[in-house]
Amino acid sequence: MTTPMLEIRDLHVRIAEREILKGVNLVVPKGEVHAIMGRNGSGKSTLSYVLAGKDDYEITSGEVLLDGVNILEMEPSERAVAGLFLAFQYPIEIPGVATMTFLKAALNATRKGRGEDDISTPDFMRAVKEAGAQLNIDSDMLKRALNVGFSGGEKKRAEILQMALLKPKMCVLDETDSGLDIDALQVVSKGVNALRDGTRSMLVITHYQRLLNHIVPDVVHVFSDGKVVESGPKELALELEAKGYAGFDGEKAA
Amino acid sequence: MSVIPVRLGPAETKLIEQLHAVGASAEAERLAAIGLPTRRVEAYHYTDLKLLLRAVPELAEASSVTDESALSISGAFRLGIANGQVQAHGAAPAGVIVGHTKGGVLTTRDDVVTRLNGAFTTDALTLDLTGTVGPVIQIDRRVEGRAGHSTSSARIFVGDGGSAVIVEVYSGSDEAHLSNHATFLQVGKGATVTHITVNLMSAKATHFATSEYMLGEDANLRTLVINAGAAVSRTQVFPRFAGAGAHADVTGLNLVSDGQHADITMDALHAVPGTSSKPLFKSIARGRSKAVVQGRLVVARDAQKTDAKLMSQGLMLSDEAEILVKPELEIYADDVVCGHGSTCGQLDDDHLFYLVSRGISKPEAETMLVRAFLAELIDPIEDEALNAALTGVIEGWLAKG
Repeated sequence: MTTPMLEIRDLHVRIAEREILKGVNLVVPKGEVHAIMGRNGSGKSTLSYVLAGKDDYEITSGEVLLDGVNILEMEPSERAVAGLFLAFQYPIEIPGVATMTFLKAALNATRKGRGEDDISTPDFMRAVKEAGAQLNIDSDMLKRALNVGFSGGEKKRAEILQMALLKPKMCVLDETDSGLDIDALQVVSKGVNALRDGTRSMLVITHYQRLLNHIVPDVVHVFSDGKVVESGPKELALELEAKGYAGFDGEKAA
Repeated sequence: MSVIPVRLGPAETKLIEQLHAVGASAEAERLAAIGLPTRRVEAYHYTDLKLLLRAVPELAEASSVTDESALSISGAFRLGIANGQVQAHGAAPAGVIVGHTKGGVLTTRDDVVTRLNGAFTTDALTLDLTGTVGPVIQIDRRVEGRAGHSTSSARIFVGDGGSAVIVEVYSGSDEAHLSNHATFLQVGKGATVTHITVNLMSAKATHFATSEYMLGEDANLRTLVINAGAAVSRTQVFPRFAGAGAHADVTGLNLVSDGQHADITMDALHAVPGTSSKPLFKSIARGRSKAVVQGRLVVARDAQKTDAKLMSQGLMLSDEAEILVKPELEIYADDVVCGHGSTCGQLDDDHLFYLVSRGISKPEAETMLVRAFLAELIDPIEDEALNAALTGVIEGWLAKG
């Protein structure tokens, strides 16, 4: 049996005294795209932050294995270098940090982790230009400070651009569809689909089925009250859309 | 009114003795009567000289070092003042007349640092600038040899319609010097001037610098103070907006590490109608250190339509660092837009997390964010060589972290 790309075993997480994740179990095999659907406040975003290593959370038990290696003891930067990428629901604006400077620093950090040399400036420019063209990202956008003054759609496209450049093994997309109109959604989805290569895995977090028409998952997991309550093929998303979350977790809609 | 006699400390006693020795008896008697300013003097509230100035070294002996510079700016026209003496220099570029004259700066300001500078300085550098001066003018002010008390002064006149970029670098041997430098800079009608001062004094030194500006009609001035050296430093910036349409971006940066105390004090006078200023000061403090920013905007009664915004931002990189900020607005006119703001804090956790989540190591991410914090001050410096030199000062400071 091959090692899964991502394996989450009985993960319990709390903030202050409140338990948010209550025993998450999830396996994403290599090359597969899995979706997590769940209502607001079910802990989906917490899961994405815990995977990426944000330190506001207390992990009380469980394991997270990335390609067989437990990443919970690793620094966020080490996780990224190991091949994990989180596309943020709300990408952060950082005034004073030039987008290109940031992209180069990130790219060189991940290359260094793989034992590769720093990328040359012409190669870097070419790589950004190529990846940007697919996502309708022009050089004007890249000249600005990181995410500063970007529209919602531009921010999400910039996230996918980073993903394309850094070539992670495991992508976690947190509500990538939020704030996108239908055209922008298509551009972003196209960008994501272009990165499906049979080896790279993805975990797509959303609370609308809409996104999954564009990024078609292999498996859908229903998330409720801090854990996975149901898993099934992509048709599960449609069933969920028809019945609502209440049909799966018995709770009233929030 | 009864006068309570001031108890004089060893630093004051030494200063009084030195003032008498150079024939400045009136100044000596004045200092004997009131002593150095303490925190009770508002302008020195956070920089109590009676407390901070423990000892005064002997008056520095003459020196003639000309080829030393703490900051290399390629293409700059260099002038030097070592231990108060104006040094020989190379051929001046077009539009630049270099001279020297007796005495200190032309100021009537009642400030102890300025008064002491005036009393001790015998030889002042003069610069007359006309037209567009191509090269950056660099004035190196050094205190050489063993620990010494050294003062210097420069008077710079930029003619109507002229433009110039002037950088002053304060440095010296690694001793417990007391340096006190002054500059008077007149910006003519419609002239555009950038004036930068960089304090790179030894970490054992006490350093004072005062820059006084007189802005004519439609004059445009950008200033940048960088305090990166000395155990105790205070840089004073006194712009006077004397012509309608005059504008100044008065900026400054305190970079303090363990054991350092750095103070930038601005006192701006908007004297006539229709002038504007944008003072922006930043401080980064690490270790057990103290950064001070005081900014006072005075708007005279006739100075209607003054537009002045004062901002101070602090970044604390340790729990033991202190950043002390005091804005003051003194407005006598009734039709003005004046304001001030201040922020102080640590690096933003969300910013940091975003960067490290992309594989950038925490120290590198922190450096990127510190650079971003400072970009507003450095980016407007257009001369590439100068911009690179100043960036080098900042990077050097960060690397020492």
